[in-house]
Amino acid sequence: MTADMFLGVATGIPWTLAVTAAAFVLGAALGLPLCAMRLSNVALLRVIALVYIILFRSVPPLLWVFVFFFGLGSGYLPISAFEGVVLGLGLITAANMAEIYRGALSAIHAGQWEASEALALPSYSTYLDIIAPQLLRVSLPSSASYAVGLLKDSAIASTIGVTDISFNANYIAKSTYQGLPVFAIAALFYIMISLPVAALARAADQKLRARVAL
Amino acid sequence: MMNLNPDTLKLPQRELAGQADKPILRLEAIRKVYGKHVVLDDLNLTLRSGEVVAIIGPSGSGKSTLLRCINMLGPATSGRVVVGDLAIDESIPPTAQQLTSLRRSVGMVFQSFNLFPHMSVLRNVSLPQERVLGRSRKDADKRSRELLARVGLAEKADQYPARCSGGQQQRIAIARALALDPQIMLFDEPTSALDPELGLEVLLVMQELARSGMTMLVVTHEMNFAETVSDRVIIMADGKIIEEGPSKEVMRDPQTDRAKRFLKAVKDR
Amino acid sequence: MNDLLSFWLDSLPALLDGLTVSLEVTGVALAIGFPLGLLLALGVQSKARSLNLISLCVVEIGRGAPALVVLQFAYFGLPQAGLTLSSFAAAVFALAWNTGAYTSEIIRAGLESVPIGEIEASSAMGMMRVDTLRFVIIPQGLRVAAPALLGFATQMLQASSLCFAIALPELTSNAYVIGTNTFRYMEILSLAGILYAAICVPATIAVGVLEQRLGKHTR
Repeated sequence: MTADMFLGVATGIPWTLAVTAAAFVLGAALGLPLCAMRLSNVALLRVIALVYIILFRSVPPLLWVFVFFFGLGSGYLPISAFEGVVLGLGLITAANMAEIYRGALSAIHAGQWEASEALALPSYSTYLDIIAPQLLRVSLPSSASYAVGLLKDSAIASTIGVTDISFNANYIAKSTYQGLPVFAIAALFYIMISLPVAALARAADQKLRARVAL
Repeated sequence: MMNLNPDTLKLPQRELAGQADKPILRLEAIRKVYGKHVVLDDLNLTLRSGEVVAIIGPSGSGKSTLLRCINMLGPATSGRVVVGDLAIDESIPPTAQQLTSLRRSVGMVFQSFNLFPHMSVLRNVSLPQERVLGRSRKDADKRSRELLARVGLAEKADQYPARCSGGQQQRIAIARALALDPQIMLFDEPTSALDPELGLEVLLVMQELARSGMTMLVVTHEMNFAETVSDRVIIMADGKIIEEGPSKEVMRDPQTDRAKRFLKAVKDR
Repeated sequence: MNDLLSFWLDSLPALLDGLTVSLEVTGVALAIGFPLGLLLALGVQSKARSLNLISLCVVEIGRGAPALVVLQFAYFGLPQAGLTLSSFAAAVFALAWNTGAYTSEIIRAGLESVPIGEIEASSAMGMMRVDTLRFVIIPQGLRVAAPALLGFATQMLQASSLCFAIALPELTSNAYVIGTNTFRYMEILSLAGILYAAICVPATIAVGVLEQRLGKHTR
């Protein structure tokens, strides 16, 4: 194992982080309206949301990424590898985040809605002041562990040429015939990145728990 | 429903003569400490063979903790437990052999029954016999059916615990403990989780067991059971025995102020 | 439309061959991974320090490293240590490790859901720890874990698509190859997606049904 190898793999870290962060932000944002649709009174919206969620969760992430990169890219819409992987993983994340939000909503006591209604709070205030803070708080642990899972899924980006950790490891392994240490280093990097994310989530969880007692 | 008329259960009068003085369980200086909190404070207690002793007292007085020291589900900090020929020092981890022979001699019935929900009633009673005593399935099942009949539940053998009432579950738990032929039975508030009516059927089984000569140590809130079924009553408070003696004397004429206060509070309720 | 259908019909045999390989590699990985998960769950709970430490390492690496990297480690890395695996064996190695690591957590949660009172009752009756595990804890724990394990199995089928990276001729690889040859990526990838969904959607629904049914029968 040499320092070159180590540094070579390390140059992929920014791309790994960028793919993960972009896909997560896209998914966390799209997950909200999707969750609202899933719980809507309008049957059509409910069905659309349900089909979306089932479809995106039932087909492998790699295949979705291929669909967006190779599929869309083959004459429909010019798309970069980075955009392709963020779109693919982001849309899958949206489906999963919608379910996480839904689970969190059901964990919020029905009394909170009733109390808001009894206090005659306007509905925007009920959502913004009462429900949203609790929703974020309740969904934080699941969201964080989803983000850690997404970090690992982001390795898929390497298959379509995004120069992330996994891509560099592959490249160096094939050019040096030193696959054993190189992939071990790559695995180590992923683990090292996920540790602080998990720790940060735990810390935030505790801080929020103190503020928004449940 | 079972036939549990108290009169039909007054079968054999208890035969205490001859072995009445032989101690079967001796607790010596049992002490249990959590940090600075003393849960059991150098407690001594002797049970003679065939004796039925009720332990009463306010909650948090250490009654259940004491029972769990006896079979080492929650060992004491120091002290000695002597069951028959087996002497166990609570302060050192017992050998596997000691633990097995202790638990074979001492049966326990829990407040929450703790039946195995994924096994039929019969399997609940038979499995421990097979695994602990090495009985064959056939012998174990035969013994189980006898005991289930004894607690009035022969017809429940092939059902699952979830299909039985709380009182029935507790009677099954008693049969399960008896199946290992213990020398002593410990009861940890066996009726506390039950409606009074269901508690009664459990108490009647316990009464029958007492009459048959089983040595029993019963932590209970049932003052009536303490007074009429047990031979001796122990009142505990703050990890100590504050009063002990023949049941009727202790229940009707306690000597210490603390015991008087407790009994008055219970009776005024 | 007709054109699409005939393209799909022509490609279907190759994709079905791929799907067979996907199912095979998933099946073997699960058959090794589930028992491994149970062993790891017991190992993580074990009081023996060395056993505990080894189990924790296997679980944490299996969960912490991307399956894709473990897959490449097995296929491109292990030969350097003198262990050359076929792409199928490498896939089984990586996916079984992944399965063991993740299901150990699922199974551990199941084992821990068995009420402490039942375990106390077992030891109060003098049952040995091994017997308590075998007759009381494991049967109930696995029953609780069953829906999540089935759910995980569908994820493993999806994860088997990663074997594309080591040229295992499974569903995604075969679809990709057809795409490269015909340049009709969208059509062929969609068909592959439909095949995955045809298995995963019913399985997901089955998980839901199983969850409900178990909820009804236990207590």
